[in-house]
Amino acid sequence: MPQVGTDNRQEVDKVSSISLRNVKKKYVNDVVVDHLNLEIRDGSFTVLVGPSGCGKSTTLRMITGLESVTEGDVLIDGQRVNEVAPGKRDIAMVFQNYALYPTMTVEENIEFGLINKKIPKAERARRIQEVCEIVGLTEYLKRKPANLSGGQRQRVALARAMVKAPRVFMMDEPLSNLDAKLRGQMRVELIRMHKRMGTTFVYVTHDQVEAMSMADDIVLMDQGKIVQQSSPWELYHNPNCIYTAQFVGSPQTNILDGRLSEGKKLGFRPEKVHMQPVDAGKGINIPATIRTREMLGSELIYSMETPYGIIMCKSEEDVPEESRVTLGIALESMYLFGADTRRCNFGEEEKKEVIQKFGGSC
Amino acid sequence: MMGKMRKGEGKDALMGYLLAAPAVILLLLFTVYPLIYLVYRSLLGGNLITKEPPFVGFQNYRILIESSDFHQVLKNTAIYTLITVVFTITLAVVIAAWLNGKKHSRLNEVVQTFIFTPHIISMVSVSTLFLWLMDSRSGFFNAVLSMLGLEPYTFLASPDTALFSMAMVMVWKGLGYYVLLIMAALQNIPASVYEAAEMDDTPGIRIFFKITLPMISPTILFTSVVATIASFKVFDSVSIMTGGGPLNSTNTLVYYIYDYAYRYGKPGQACAAGVVLLIFVCVITYVQFKVSRKRVHYQ
Repeated sequence: MPQVGTDNRQEVDKVSSISLRNVKKKYVNDVVVDHLNLEIRDGSFTVLVGPSGCGKSTTLRMITGLESVTEGDVLIDGQRVNEVAPGKRDIAMVFQNYALYPTMTVEENIEFGLINKKIPKAERARRIQEVCEIVGLTEYLKRKPANLSGGQRQRVALARAMVKAPRVFMMDEPLSNLDAKLRGQMRVELIRMHKRMGTTFVYVTHDQVEAMSMADDIVLMDQGKIVQQSSPWELYHNPNCIYTAQFVGSPQTNILDGRLSEGKKLGFRPEKVHMQPVDAGKGINIPATIRTREMLGSELIYSMETPYGIIMCKSEEDVPEESRVTLGIALESMYLFGADTRRCNFGEEEKKEVIQKFGGSC
Repeated sequence: MMGKMRKGEGKDALMGYLLAAPAVILLLLFTVYPLIYLVYRSLLGGNLITKEPPFVGFQNYRILIESSDFHQVLKNTAIYTLITVVFTITLAVVIAAWLNGKKHSRLNEVVQTFIFTPHIISMVSVSTLFLWLMDSRSGFFNAVLSMLGLEPYTFLASPDTALFSMAMVMVWKGLGYYVLLIMAALQNIPASVYEAAEMDDTPGIRIFFKITLPMISPTILFTSVVATIASFKVFDSVSIMTGGGPLNSTNTLVYYIYDYAYRYGKPGQACAAGVVLLIFVCVITYVQFKVSRKRVHYQ
């Protein structure tokens, strides 16, 4: 398998950790990112995810240096880089719109950064050839970006980043301009690329599926703050608040509010709602009427009317609209949230209360 | 391919011709017919009031070719054009790049307005103004030079400096317009391309020559063709500032044509010079596009 970079020792050196300490970003009167503390592990594939305007791109751009930091410190490998120019941080970046140089050929695009680094010609040619073989661009080297398809442009952008053999790889929604099929394909290629290079990847997206499928480590952001940082498995199975529970998964987690004491809320995922009752004491049973159903192929999504409001259900069973069913939800697939929307303890007493309030038997 | 058009198509085609007709008729009447007549008249002798001017063949052209005055006029026009275009486009690119680099600054807007203003003043007013400013004895420029303890400059008074001085007036007047066009091109370059260059650790000079300049090259080509043709056709400033002098040193092609047609009453010779101008403009435009096909990056 071809390797990028000159020797293995260098490869090991190229792995880097990133820390943000109390970072704040303010534009005139708008605070976009506030008191952000973030650790990105050596060699991890970290995905910053969140809705648009949550500060994830700004955070990425502060790490690259394209955006200045208003307060706080950015550290790469323990060294403060706040004042280091973007080009000197040994970071490569893939932009959302690729940002290829339109007047240069594919080869010149890839070579441009190497010439700036004063790398000798023979070495440049070798690296370009290597990288182009990896991403499959060898036959397009003499073309201009305007004569390439979206997927090929994406590859040029990746090649241009890879060829520099950087310490850190940054990607800002790199797949959002591709069609669904190509996006799936590139996701797999990016995962493979990360495995092969072993470099730290920092990836920004608003797409939770993309985040879940690629990340070792997900950083979920909202309104300039980190809501939860954990592995994809943890994020899905162990959300620390309603926001996380609802952000990951589709349709979003059902929340039943207004029944429990102290403003507590009950949450459970649509895929954990079953259309058969559970045994008394193991969960709750809710009578429901199917209002709409969406056929997705492998499964169906139902919107159900219940005494506690609308409940979404994801199921493989095919039931006609307007049917009356009993929904069974097991206690172990429930999350309990406090009045402040944070996750709270779901002990024996709380379980009893839930069964009592929502009805444990059919 | 097809024998007959379908029913609706004939109607559509007629409508198309009808809509294009006004433009075509005007073009034929005011551009094509005068051009043909220009070439035809250049083959005739006589003066402005000769009823039936005699056919003289290429005699008018022979006179032009043999006249040292006309050689001087061609040389003046070429030098004037070269100076104007090179100065205008170079300065316009530099100023536009500078203005574009300081986004949202108040100064930027003020400078832009000041630089554009000369474009809306008529050439006649500008020429008259500079005639005073450049007066070698009592003009403002020489007053400033002598205040600074420098030698006075001859400006329009000497054959050595007159053509250059006139070209500078044209540069001053035209600059703002070209700065505006080039700034529009600069603002079309996506910011992310510059960010990519920043990530690539590119020195400023290399960014300018490898990214900015190639990306605005279509606009540079367009502006230089427009500027070349405009300076080939210079007339008002010659007429007002120098009348072609001193010693024929600022006489240019269009002024020569005017002189021969209306002052010396030799329309045949004027038309012949007009044909020469036409050929020059065509050739220059053609060459400029041909050369730039290799250099210019259209996206």
